[in-house]
Formats: sequence, C-alpha cells, structure tokens
Amino acid sequence: MNGPPGARYPDVIVLGAGLSGLVAAIRLAEAGLRVVTVAKGYGSMRLSPATIDILGYRPDPVDSPAQALPGFAAAHPEHPYALIGPDTLADSVQWLKEHVGTYAYVGDPGENMLLPTAIGVPRPSAVAPETMAGGDVRRAGPLLIAGLGVLKDFHPSIAAENLQAATTAYGRAVQARPVMLHPSANGPADVNSLGLARQFEDGAFRSAVAAELRAAVRGEETIGLPAVLGMDQARSVWTELQQAVGRPVFEIPTAVPPSVPGMRLARALQDRLRRAGGRFVFGAQAVGPELRNGKLAGVRIRSAARVTPRMCRWVVLATGGLGAGGIEVDLSGAVSEHSLGLPVHAPGPGETGFLPGYLSDHPMDTAGLRVDHTLRPVGPDGEPVYPNAYAAGAVIGGARPWREKSGDGISLSTGYLAADAILKEAG
Amino acid sequence: MTAEQEFDFIRDSLDHCVKCTICETACPVAAVTPLFPGPKYEGPQAERLRGAGPSVDASLDYCSSCGICTLACPQGVHVAEINSRARAVMKQQHGIPIRDQLIARPPLQGKLGTPVAPLANFVLSNRLARLVAEKTVGIHRNAPVPKFAGRTFRSWARRHPAPATAGTRRVAYFHGCSTNYFEPGLGEKAVAVLAHNGCRVVLPRQECCGLPLQSNGIFDSARSYVRRLVAGLAPYARQGYTIVATSTSCGLMLKREAREILGVEDDDLRVVSSQTYDICEFLADLDLAGELKTDFQPVPLTVTYHAPCQQQGHNIGKPALDLLGLIPELTVIELDRACCGIAGTYGLKREKYDIAMQVGSGLFGDIRAAEPDLAVCDSETCRWQITHGTGRTSVHPVEVMYRAYGLS
Amino acid sequence: MEEGRNQNVRLGGVAATGAAVECEVLVVGGGSTGVGVARDAAMRGFSTVLVERGDLATGTTGRFHGLLHSGGRYCVKDPQAARECIAENVVLRRIAADCIEDTGGLFVTTPIDDPDYADRFVAGCQATGIPVEEIPVAEALRREPRLNPRISRALVVPDATADAWKTVWTCARSAMEYGAKILPYHEVIAVTKDGDQVTGVIARGQDGAEVQIRAQVTVNASGAWAGRIAAMADCKVQISPGKGIMIATNHRLVQTVVNRCVMPADGDILVPIRTVSVIGTTDITVDDPDDWAITRTEINQMLESGENLVPGFTSSRAMRVWGGVRPLFQDHAPAESRDVTRAHAVLDHRARDGVGGFLTITGGKFCTFRLMAQDAVDAAGKVLGVTRPCRTADEPLPDSQERRFYQLSSRLAEREQTLLDEQLICECELVRRGRLEDEAARRPAPSLDDLRRAVRLGMGPCQGGFCMYRATGILHQTKHLSGAEADRALLAFLEERWKGYYPLLHGDQLRQAWLDNWIFQGVLDVQHLPLADQPRQQETATGQAT
Repeated sequence: MNGPPGARYPDVIVLGAGLSGLVAAIRLAEAGLRVVTVAKGYGSMRLSPATIDILGYRPDPVDSPAQALPGFAAAHPEHPYALIGPDTLADSVQWLKEHVGTYAYVGDPGENMLLPTAIGVPRPSAVAPETMAGGDVRRAGPLLIAGLGVLKDFHPSIAAENLQAATTAYGRAVQARPVMLHPSANGPADVNSLGLARQFEDGAFRSAVAAELRAAVRGEETIGLPAVLGMDQARSVWTELQQAVGRPVFEIPTAVPPSVPGMRLARALQDRLRRAGGRFVFGAQAVGPELRNGKLAGVRIRSAARVTPRMCRWVVLATGGLGAGGIEVDLSGAVSEHSLGLPVHAPGPGETGFLPGYLSDHPMDTAGLRVDHTLRPVGPDGEPVYPNAYAAGAVIGGARPWREKSGDGISLSTGYLAADAILKEAG
Repeated sequence: MTAEQEFDFIRDSLDHCVKCTICETACPVAAVTPLFPGPKYEGPQAERLRGAGPSVDASLDYCSSCGICTLACPQGVHVAEINSRARAVMKQQHGIPIRDQLIARPPLQGKLGTPVAPLANFVLSNRLARLVAEKTVGIHRNAPVPKFAGRTFRSWARRHPAPATAGTRRVAYFHGCSTNYFEPGLGEKAVAVLAHNGCRVVLPRQECCGLPLQSNGIFDSARSYVRRLVAGLAPYARQGYTIVATSTSCGLMLKREAREILGVEDDDLRVVSSQTYDICEFLADLDLAGELKTDFQPVPLTVTYHAPCQQQGHNIGKPALDLLGLIPELTVIELDRACCGIAGTYGLKREKYDIAMQVGSGLFGDIRAAEPDLAVCDSETCRWQITHGTGRTSVHPVEVMYRAYGLS
Repeated sequence: MEEGRNQNVRLGGVAATGAAVECEVLVVGGGSTGVGVARDAAMRGFSTVLVERGDLATGTTGRFHGLLHSGGRYCVKDPQAARECIAENVVLRRIAADCIEDTGGLFVTTPIDDPDYADRFVAGCQATGIPVEEIPVAEALRREPRLNPRISRALVVPDATADAWKTVWTCARSAMEYGAKILPYHEVIAVTKDGDQVTGVIARGQDGAEVQIRAQVTVNASGAWAGRIAAMADCKVQISPGKGIMIATNHRLVQTVVNRCVMPADGDILVPIRTVSVIGTTDITVDDPDDWAITRTEINQMLESGENLVPGFTSSRAMRVWGGVRPLFQDHAPAESRDVTRAHAVLDHRARDGVGGFLTITGGKFCTFRLMAQDAVDAAGKVLGVTRPCRTADEPLPDSQERRFYQLSSRLAEREQTLLDEQLICECELVRRGRLEDEAARRPAPSLDDLRRAVRLGMGPCQGGFCMYRATGILHQTKHLSGAEADRALLAFLEERWKGYYPLLHGDQLRQAWLDNWIFQGVLDVQHLPLADQPRQQETATGQAT
C-alpha cells in the first residue's frame, strides 16, 4: 500500500524537533513505528527554561491548571486546550516524567508552583525539573539569590528585590537577598550559561563556588542559583553542591538563551528517540506535500543540492508557530504555512495584526492552524485537509502561550495526542 | 539567479538571525576554547560590522569550518558560509602562510609522495622530521597526516575496467584525492559494492575539488579547481549518470559549498550538483525503494558510527546507520558527537592542534568506552583523526558493507 | 576611534539645587543646532546654559537618516542651501571626522527618473561648487553590486554619513569642557520677560522641580518646536513641520550613499549609516510636531522606493521605522513642504516683534548646524555688544583631532582586543559593559532609551531582546536604578521598541519579535513585575506610529 514492493519507507515523518515533535516521535518509535524527524535546525527547546507550564494566567492567576482547564476550554473554544481533555494532559505529563531519564521532573497539573524568574517574578509552572522546584515561593523560607560575576544573563540584585516585593504583594513575604560570586578570578570575563554549566561539571570549580556560598549563606536560607549547574551530570552536580554547602539549592532559569535546562531536556528526549530507533535529519526543510492521486504520500524535503520527495504513511507537523517559522507572515501581511501548504487561521492582509501597545492582546498572537479533535489540520469547511496529516505544538493556533504560560502544556499534550491518533490508525 | 545574487543570498541569510544562540551551543570549537568567540558572533553578528575596509577580527581564524552552526541554525542562517567567506578576505589581506598553501593541495602532495611512498612515509613518521616540519611550516608534530599508499586508485581502476555488460544503473564515481593517493582500497571496495548493486561504474577524469584550498581561504585557486572538476563530471551528469562520492566532504563541495562559499555558479556545476550523491545516501535511497541487495552475510562485530560534520552538511540524516542496520549480527553504536576536531586541515596546524584534539576528546572517549572492533566514519580525515585519537582502526561504512556482501 | 570617553562630563543636576542660574547665553533646545550654539558660545567665552525638554538629540536631530549632504540634493532647486551644504560638508569633515564616515555619494538615474535631470544636476553642482564626477554605469555597479542594474547614469559627489547622536554628544562634551551647563530633561514652561526684554526661562526638571534661568540673551534653537517657544515670548515664528519617515534595514545593503538623480522627492535616498541602511524619506506637512502617525501606505511607499534603488530591498529585513519633523521655516503661509527652502535664518525678535534679548535660529539642516550656530552666536554677540570671533570651523571636536573618519568595523576591532576581558552586553551593536556603565554614571536617572541612543544599546536586529535584561540588571546592581525604576525602565523600553517595529512586522523581524516576546513575557514574566505600575502610556507621541 505504500510505495513499490519491497519499499522500506518510514511510517511517519515528523517535521520539527521541538517539544511537541520529539514527544510524538518518541511515542511512535517506542511503539515500533519507523520514524524520521526532519528539522530545519536544532529545536527551540534549547531556548526554553524547560519548565512545563500548563496554564498560569487566564489572565487572573491559576492555582490549579487541572481544575481551571475545563472552564478555560469552554471559554476559549478556539484554544488547543479545547481539544485536550484533562486526562490526556495528565497522561502526557506522566509520560514525560518517565521519559526524561535522570533529568527528573516534579509536580503535576493539580497545582502550580510559583518559581522565580531571573528578574524575580514568581512564575506559575505546574511541572518543573527537580533542580528548580526548591524555588517555589509558596513554600520557600528566606532566599539567598546568588549570581556569578561572569554571567551577564542573571542578575541577583534585581531578582531578589522583585521577588521580595512580589511575594509581599501575594501575602506571603519571602525574604530574598542577593550575592555575587566570583569563583574563577583568572578566566574570561564573559561566560555564557552553557560555558558555566561545563565548568560546574568540574569538581574544583564546584568547590570554589561552594566555599563562597558557605561564607555568604545565613541561617535557614535556601540558595537560588542560575540554571547552570551542569549539563550531562546535572543531577549529581546539584546534589553534590547542596551537600558541600549544607543548604538546599535550586536553579532559576537564566534570562536569555541559551538555556541550560532546555538543552538538558532536548538532549534527554533526543537520546530517548535515538535509542527507540528514531532517525534525525537536521538542516533539511519541508517545502511542500508530496501528493499521489491527490493523497498525501510524503513530504518534499530540501537538503543540500536538491528537493527530494520523502514518502511515508503519516506526517506530524510540529514546525512551531510564528517564532519558529512554522507560520510565516510576508510583507503584504499574508499568513501562511509552507511545509504542507495548509490553510492558516489569522488576520489577513489589510486586517489589523498588531496593536500599538506592547502588552496588548494582538490579533496575530493566535495565528495558526485549526485542527479537528484528532489534531488533523482542517480547511475552512472544518474537514481535515489530509486524513494522514497531524499537527502538534505551536503551529496550532488559538493560544497566547506567553501570556497564559501554556506553551509547554500545549506542546506536550498535542504531541502526545497526535501520536495517539496515529497509533490508533496503525492498529 | 546570477552568481553575484546567489553570493548575496548566502550572506543575506544573516537577516534571518534572531540571535537565539543555538549555533553557539552547538559549536564544537567554542566549547573548548575562549579564543573563538563563537559562530553567532563571527557570523551574522560581526558581518554587519564588516565594511569594505581591512579585516579586523583575527579571532575568526579559529573557526574550523565544520559547518555545525549552519546545520543547527533553526532560522536558516548560513553561518559557516558567512564565516568562511569573511575568513578568506582576512587571509587574502594578511597573507596565506606557506603551510596553508601546501596542505591545501592534495594532488601536489599525492603526485610528489606516491612514487616515493616509503621514503615519504618514513619522513612523515619520523619524529625529528616532524619537529622540523612543525618549526618551519607549522604542521603540528603529532598531527594525523595520512600515509601514501604507494599506488593510486586510478592505476588499479585502469587495470580493472567494468565489464561492458555490468549493471543498468549508470554511476560516475567521484573518488577524490584521498582515495586516489592514500586509501585506494576504499575506492576498490566502493566500486565492488556499487557493482554488486547493479551499477555500471565509470571513472571520469578528475582532480581535486578545491575544498582544502577553500577551507584555507585560497578562493581563487579553489574556484579554478572546482570548475575544472565539474567540467569533467558534467558530461556524465548530462548523460544521466549519478555522481557518487565516497569522500563526503568533497561531495558536499559539489553539492553546495562551491556555490554557497566560493560563489561559483555555472551550468556544469548546477547539473553536477543536482546529481551528486554521497555513497551512503545513494545506497540508502536504493534501500528505501526496495532495490538494495540485502544478501548480507553476518558480520559479528561491534562498530561505532560517527557521522562527521561534513556528512551532516548534506542534510540527509545518517543513511549509513540504516545501511549498517541491515547487516546481520553487526552491532552498531551511534555516537552523538558533532565533530572529531580535524575539520579537514584545521587540526594539522600547530596553533590549532590542541583545540582539535580537545574538540575530538568527547568522541574519542565515547569510542574508547564502546571498545568497538571498528570505528566507522564517512570522512577520510576524520578516520585518520579518530585512529590518532583512539588507536582504533577506522573504516568507511561501505568497507563494512563490502565485507558483509562477501566481496573480498 | 570609538565614542564613549566622556567620563569626565556629567549631565543635569542643576534643577535639584533649586537655585536660580545666571548666564549670558541661554540656549533652548538640545538638538544639533542648540548644542552647536552652546559650544560656539562657550568657546567664545560666554557663560552658557542649554535646556532641553528630553534627552539630547531626541527631536529631529536624532530622527533623520544620517546623511551629511554634499549639497547635490539641492543644487538645482535650492542653490543657496546647496552652497551652505558643501561648505559645511568640508568643515565638518575637518572638525568632526570621528562622527563621519566617508562613504561618498552616488546620484543615479533609475528607470523611473527623468533622464534629462542628470545634465541639470551636473550643471547645478558646478554652479554651486560641489565636486561631481560622472562614472560609467558598470563602474557604479562594481562599487555597489546591489544597485539597480538598469540605472542609466551615475554621478559621484562627496556625500558622507554622520552619526547625529555622536555628533551632538561630542559637541555637548566640548561645550561643557568650555564651561557650558547642559541640562537635558529641563522643559521650558515659561519665557520670562521684563517689559519687552526676555530675561530667561523657567524650566521644569525631571523631578518636577522648577528652575529659573536668567540670561542676557536667549536663543531659541528648538527646531520644529520654535514656534511654540517663540509664542511663550509673545513672538511669532512660522514653522512648517515636515514629517519624514525612514526605515532601517537589518544590515547595510550599500556602502555608498545612493540618491536618485531627480528633483527632491519621496524615497529618493538610501543611506548606509553605522550598521544599517536607511531608506528615506517622505515629506508631509503636519500641524503639530508632537502629534502625527506613520501609516502603512507610507511604509509601503518607502519599501518600494528601496526596491527601485536596490532590487530585492523589500525581501531584506526591515528592522525599524521611525519619523522626524523638519523645522522648515517660512515667513508666509505654508506651501507644499518640499518647496520651502532648506536654508536657515536667524531672527532677531527685537526687529520683528519688538522683543529684546531673544533670538530664534531656525530652518537649516543637520549638516549646516555649525554654520547656524555661528550665525546665531554672532547675532547674540551683537545683542551683548561683544564681538568675539567664531572658532568652531577650525577647532576639531574631542576625538576628532586626528581627523580620522569613523569606520564601520571600529567596534569589531575594539572588541577583538577585549574578547576575554570584558562582557559584551549588546551583542548586535557590540556594546561593552564598561561603556554602558560609564554612560549610566554620567546621568542622574538613565532611561534605557537614552542609553540606547548614547551607546547604541539595543539598536541592532534583536532590538533589545538580549541586552535589555542585562542592562536593567546591571543598572540595578550598580545602583543607578532602584527596583521600581528598573522595572519601569524595562517596560518603558519594551513599549518604545514595540512602537518602532510593530507597523512593519513581518518575516524575519516578526520571528525576532516573537523570540523577544518569549524571553520577556514567557521566561521573565515582565507583565507581572511587582514594582512597576501599569506601564504608563507615552505622554508624547513624537515620531511614534499610532
């Protein structure tokens, strides 16, 4: 049914290597399907703080995403969460926790933690790496926020002042004070978070940090550090540092890319996919559907020197939204999707896409594909464009992920669900 | 699109940069030395500040041209290509060392070294001679320079013409300099594997593709080398031959670097480019279509597989894994490392050798830990570097297939 | 040479004393003209004070494309302006080399242009003393490979580009070294008079405190706002504010100033300034220099103009759009804005309005600011009854003594020397941490937008996406900003940046904006910064699209 006799085409081509694409690909590969993940570059997860934000604001603060979701979905019928049941969401979270190896996650959709950001705002995340969970200001005692002098992407003074002000406003004041560490006096003055993560895997460096922290910490303080505590050995780095200092330590995501936690998660999931037999094609781009008799038979992929049709039975479109280029806007204001040429729901040319206020709800924010209940992109008639194409992640429109703090939950659950739908068909 | 516009198209890809830093997290050189400020800095960032005047950023020279940045970029910036071009400008302005002139010309080395291979190899493995070479020309005393085979692949091929009746798939084999002068056995095995799969293999006249010249910033010579090469290959491509390469980096030169870095744009290159395949890509496509011979005999070995950076630049994934996966009893361990460090001629240089070895150290560690019978890798200079770094024998994937097909 | 060695000079702070300030020459307006007047007056030994309602060079001066005219643009239509331009072009190259890049200029006849104009242009250049040389089209295309290959003529003139902010800051620094007081963020709320004699102004500082400044002569150098200041002294100055919009591309598409060889028209120039190319401009008369908008139609018009000069322009990355208002002076009712002379005038209001001690310097353009200042101070000297010679045409500005022109690669070269020693805060424009901290130290309460202009922080492709957290954190850590000030400064900057690009968001810049949104809203959650009040709407909408 698929190609000439003896052909060994993959079952699924997943377009995109972000959270949603990797989740779908791993599930499918682990179920025994042959999966090829095609990505233009390394996925945007490397930019992500790697918390799993499910729903933080609607716009009032959400304490329990699980409880808030049914109402939120009912109020926002165009939102991807309107297609994701609470059970699917909970299952997908559980699935993720089981697939991240030693990079352990804690929390569940039942309640949001409030984890400090690098500027000191307590940010709602339902699920987070265990290395970050200690910063949950709902439970935290006094905090020592420690920066590293060489790291320009984390500033403890502003973080501490804002954190104290914000928690005071929330009615549970958390004392927070800053300290700046200078463990390597002779090294380069400008080290990014990844460079520091590599240094933290060196025992001597860790000891120097621990010594400075021991001298700085007072009483019952918990220590917040930028999320640079090791890369491959993050868990042991974190554990050993706590032992060496004698106080609990938690990580705070750095402000701008690269994100060490994001890289850890990306590595963990990519390794998982590789071990399940999944294949990656990086640097290649899907440029259109490969149609046979009007049916989607594969994807046209641009690699060095040429465009080649790559055949498969199912396609998962996880190319991201306006930021990643899965959805594009041209000079005329036309909004389009180029990998499969699917119709996009967005303000058209001549319509208002953006408002003058930075923090306004811009009509363009929600641009993206519309999908049916199994996440197949639909046309204006509401019918699936292709019976064997599924969408996952930010390419699906209808959400305002940064405002809602919902992006990770959407990506995780739609990736999970798209795989589900294909597995049901594959039988 | 004219060559000039194509050239600009590559440079203009800097417009796609959103500063996300993913390239810098992927850069194997920036990971080991602060002397290289990273691909984003040197590429889309610095390029905005490079005017027509003198080149001012010597740190650019630490780029190894591995191309991982371009591969990693999720926005489509041709980071490595921008850097290569800026570096060529710099080297033209600052002067190209005699060392770089030398190592950039494999045919010259081959023609000089092959007839006197025992002597040449003795010199190359003599510590004193290497120390002199390091002091005088700047080739690091320990760098993995190849050994001359003492015979050429082409002389073998002249003695072993393909039978006129053989095969229906028309393949023109692009063997590259290294196969000709240093690893003729690889060429013999590649021809056998192709023939086994119904290919009628012809051997067009060919010389160096100019890649070492290009990566050493000697663009004018590189352009004339690659133009000469494609002029020889184009008639075959026009007749419908598929051009199959065993040197993955030289194949990439034909596929895109000649156009994207050197700015060569002509009909010969276009037709050759569109029909050039890396040998594993070619064989894996046969497999996808169900047309690959799968009469493999068991090979009860454990091998590691490292996809070199230049192989990843083809943007075809890792077809060697699929091919090796067909061989019964062969255990394949995929290594997830970006680069072995050598990057063509980078790791040979006195001032870069230590960096190259540090870049490769992760890969070497993985290979040692896996204790493989063979370390499989598609690129010749990477195989030499892997052997240098691990002491393990390193082979091309088709050499394993050759053995599994029982062609020896 | 790079800017930023201004450490010895601090700004502002006079208002806080509450004391009255006395001076001989008071300058109202901190654009290029006002700062030029202050420097000239201080160099002639007059005690001098300058007040500016915002930061220096935030009006028209900071909002133009950066062209240092050869005069070619006006050689047919306005020969007087052309003569002034070429004369000052030569002077500024001598005294402000560090602020100028010697790009050269081309006038090209594109397919849509009158082919006969080029001959008139050559004649006009010759008549006004502008060096001009015709080169073969092929040679023009060799110099500028992206240029429209269908141009039919190409004429070389000594256009250049000038960094207006750097020029103004350096002039201000020189003025202060000669003893002038420069008071940014001092808005004139009243002109004080004693009978028919202007005695100075009352200005309100950033903290709301009012300061009385008493002067023997007050020079109104407030550009497009000159009518408003004059009215405070019961004088009438008719300014016809001409709005022009400009669009900056992400990187330079040309290395030479490229003009269409036509009578001055919309979209007739593409200027390589610092790291970008700027296409400009429109010219639309507006009623109020503080209240106007940028329309999508104007944006498209500019992009299409760019396409005519450089094919492919519309597919290159448009980074930011902004506008400025030209202070076009006329004595009669306004006509079409383009028809008003670009030459300048010094108005002595004693003669015009019967008000003494009060001069207005208006009209003109950036490249004649020094000459305007000279004329104004000459007139001020007359009022004061003192004749002292002007020396600004001969004495170079600080950092320009060696008369070396600015090079695009200067920051790259400088960074190469400090790769391991100093943090890079703005990666796009290579702003070192030291430069940021030095600049912040010179200001009483630095806004991030002021620092942007002063050191080019956040001026590049990511438009502050990567450097603004860093800058906010550093300024808080170094106690230049309190927590509340820091929170507000960051939000204000984000609003300001958004206004500069939301009207043209598409393609690459949209992807950039989305990544920046992810950083600020997604990762940092700036919507919930606890110490910022709701982000304040900008009180004035100068140059902002609405």
